[in-house]
Amino acid sequence: MGKEERREELLKELHEGVVEFEEDQVKEAAQKVLDEGLNAYDAVMNGLAAGMEEVGELYDQQEYFVPELLMCADALYAGLDILQPHITLEDLGDKPKGQVVIGTVQGDVHDIGKNIIKMMFEVAGFTVHDLGRDVPLEKFVEEQLRTDSEIVALSAMMTTTMMGMEKVIKMIKEKNPDVAIMLGGAPVTSDTADLFGADGYAESAGNAVQEAIKMISRLREMQNK
Amino acid sequence: MATMTPKERVKRFFKREPVDEMPCFSGMGTVTVQAIDKMGIRFAQVHGSAEYLAGSAITGAEMFGFDGVVVPYDMCTVPEALGRGVSLYEDAEGILYPTVPSKWATLDEVDMPEDLNVIFEKARMPVVDEALKILVGHDDGKLAVGGWVLGPFTMAGQLIELDVLLKGLKKDKDRVEGFLSQMTDLVIAVAKHYEDLGVDYVNIREMGSGTDLLSPRMWKTLIKPNLEEVFSALQAPKINHICGSTDLIIEMMNDCGADAVSVDQKNNVAESRKKLGNDALILGNFDPYGTLVQMDPSEVDAVIKKCIDDGVDAVWPGCDIWPDVKEENMKAYVQAVRKYGKEPTPAVGRV
Repeated sequence: MGKEERREELLKELHEGVVEFEEDQVKEAAQKVLDEGLNAYDAVMNGLAAGMEEVGELYDQQEYFVPELLMCADALYAGLDILQPHITLEDLGDKPKGQVVIGTVQGDVHDIGKNIIKMMFEVAGFTVHDLGRDVPLEKFVEEQLRTDSEIVALSAMMTTTMMGMEKVIKMIKEKNPDVAIMLGGAPVTSDTADLFGADGYAESAGNAVQEAIKMISRLREMQNK
Repeated sequence: MATMTPKERVKRFFKREPVDEMPCFSGMGTVTVQAIDKMGIRFAQVHGSAEYLAGSAITGAEMFGFDGVVVPYDMCTVPEALGRGVSLYEDAEGILYPTVPSKWATLDEVDMPEDLNVIFEKARMPVVDEALKILVGHDDGKLAVGGWVLGPFTMAGQLIELDVLLKGLKKDKDRVEGFLSQMTDLVIAVAKHYEDLGVDYVNIREMGSGTDLLSPRMWKTLIKPNLEEVFSALQAPKINHICGSTDLIIEMMNDCGADAVSVDQKNNVAESRKKLGNDALILGNFDPYGTLVQMDPSEVDAVIKKCIDDGVDAVWPGCDIWPDVKEENMKAYVQAVRKYGKEPTPAVGRV
């Protein structure tokens, strides 16, 4: 079998393993990628992430729901854990991708959407500073200053905690107007995002996946040019 | 003109008997900052005191003219009584609802008491009981008193990590089903306890089970049987409330044995009315945050009118009212219910 043929075969195994949430299949294929000297970044972007793109389509078609998304995400992580340490600076275009501070705001202990977005940032090669959930607002500001991250991603699943976002955005923008702020969560709409002065938003765990997948798709397109 | 007491109105409403006008009430929290401020307390204080809970509910109802009162306001009372703790955010500025800080991390850690009645002695459960007793006895029982309990699946999500639960529905089905069955017994025990305290209706809030999260097929096999069991065990008028996407499951919701279904703004009520027919009691479905906090007061009337035009029998907020409402919007909401609620609705006539 030629190298290109073998590459295609392993990418397909990774892709299918993510879609069918077969963690073991993904782990095995990821290990083979390394053992056979194939490119780890290629395997992440054109195997794992491509699989997640199909998952997004299945979610769109209401064939998959959140339980399936979570299992697909587990399968993707299983592969990412193996492949990521072998991604080189050269793969990423000779400069590290940006840094992201992420967390769900105080008063909210739901973190499914946040975890999916976090995974997408990791896939794309970002360094992610995950503050977890139920995070006091000042923490976001402190962590942004400490890490000098370009992006701060805030999530709130409930209307009742959404108000906290406005305060964080204000605090961060006061200190560093160039930081991009992403909002996510069920009650967040584009209107709310505008009102609060944020730079982007995603509506729900599902929409967050869509948004993140689109981001990955764009990266893959650029990569393949 | 109003000829019935609020309680009579609500009781007749659930029996589908003609009422003088549409009752203005909810099965979720309706506490507002105006009521809290009037009492001179803070939101974080209200959850731990029977006097504050009952007092804020009554103050709010009298201030705005509600027919009913509902307590408690947070979803942690039962998890807390089961040892999962509660975060009240007493130091946070502004309003935050309590959350459960230490859910069981896996199904192996689940530790339910054999006799569920022990929970009524624990944590804030006696406070809620006391508040309900105050409400039931207030002003010779003039106001309708609502009790509520989370549905089995949503209760499960308050007790174990949601991703464990959701993935378990696929990967660990037998054990998750067993856990949901335990939750069903728990929900029944709490709901019956509130019935015994004399509430006029019980709202079962299976909020986390809409099709934003679960497929209709999963809803049918894992959510519906447990809800059927809950509703068949209860006497009082009982409501099946689910927020989020419910268009795909509305018929199944109506088929669980509740007296009424309650949905939020994501439901297409005009379509639901067609699917369920004119006998079904439908409650809903305005967005409480958008309508009462964000909108200009002049826009509220049209939102309420649309709910009624679409075919609800009583206008319910889709969720808890976010306490930081504008006073004018609350007034406009109640006024619009009174104005457009004079005519009969599909399931309930007028005297």
